[in-house]
Amino acid sequence: MRKFDLSRVASSICLLSFAASAHAHSSVKGVGDLYAGLLHVLTGLEHVLPFVALSLLAGQRGMKLQAEAVLLVFPMALMLGAAAALWLPPLHGLMFFNMASAILLGGLVASAWPLPSAVFYGLVAVFGVSHGFANGEAITGSIKAYLFILGIGLAGLALLAYGTLTVDFLLKRKTGWITIAVRVAGSWIAAIGVLVLATAGKSMLSS
Amino acid sequence: MIASPGRRYSSTRAARWAAFAFLLILPGLALAHIGQGDLSGGFLAGLEHPVFGLDHVVAMVAVGLWGAQLRQPAIWILPVTFPLVMSFGGILGGLGVPIPGIEIGIAVSAIVLGAMIALAARPPLWGAGVIVGVFAIFHGYAHGAELPESANAISYAMGFVIATGSLHVLGILIGVINKWQAGEKILRAGGILIALCGIYFLVSRFIGD
Repeated sequence: MRKFDLSRVASSICLLSFAASAHAHSSVKGVGDLYAGLLHVLTGLEHVLPFVALSLLAGQRGMKLQAEAVLLVFPMALMLGAAAALWLPPLHGLMFFNMASAILLGGLVASAWPLPSAVFYGLVAVFGVSHGFANGEAITGSIKAYLFILGIGLAGLALLAYGTLTVDFLLKRKTGWITIAVRVAGSWIAAIGVLVLATAGKSMLSS
Repeated sequence: MIASPGRRYSSTRAARWAAFAFLLILPGLALAHIGQGDLSGGFLAGLEHPVFGLDHVVAMVAVGLWGAQLRQPAIWILPVTFPLVMSFGGILGGLGVPIPGIEIGIAVSAIVLGAMIALAARPPLWGAGVIVGVFAIFHGYAHGAELPESANAISYAMGFVIATGSLHVLGILIGVINKWQAGEKILRAGGILIALCGIYFLVSRFIGD
């Protein structure tokens, strides 16, 4: 009888599991990287939290007035940042900058201060590019970059659209406590951001 | 099929290279995020931390109760500012900036807030803000010093802030009884109870341990 080839068995099991994971995600062949990009954003709380804060801020401004274009600008900035990550070297402090975006955006929601449009869109563009860059850094090896980047943009669009429309809808009820609840939510997000940076600072000091 | 020695060698070498490449990717993945690791475990740990410390629970509910007693605009200024000030205290605690008497300050916070509710005290808004803000730093400091490094930092902070904020909301909801005359008295009696809890925390701080 032939000698049992362990490495071949191991590699075929490995290949089988790859095939299984591919089949579980996409019904159309080759679009798996789109979902990978989408999920990379949606499963990273350091992106979801600031995105939620941004949608609260946009919803506070009111959909009809000055926030509509955010649904276009933000996903574009995200994809631009992700594409930039393909060419530029990785930025190591970026995750702290991105966490700080949650503090700034949450704080602005809590203060309910009417931001000038230029400042608002400036923040949208800067944080869009920085979060996009952080997600784009995950593009390695055989990942199809254009699909992954499209997934990042879709995730940003979906989170922002649902969040902004929900807040806009709720605030149109003109109920006092809802207005306050939105501000409290912003304050919670900012507080979470500060605590995360405090934890990161603590572990850096102790290491 | 006959496996020649040469081929066999190359396939194991390929497998080794694959494993090596995979291992190289792993630390990169871990460093690409702040919140890496046990997502739900971190959330639950953060959620239960404020709830299982009675001194914290009493003070947080007291903040909500007092806010409800003070009515507009304090009822919403306190829950909006408290988390922010508390997280600032969390930085001080996390970085180990020395502040003496934190535990005593936490016990005193329950005594003072309980007394304010019992007396139905109505200081000017900035005065109430300063009182609550100082205590928020004490509470945040104590929690910052205890911030775990093993759990997922983001989901832990989320659970922590949500639990603390929900205790404020609980206090505000209970404070709704302030609308009725009988409720007003019950609320003030509750303030006495909170102050007594604070005295108990203070005494046990000196006698216990």
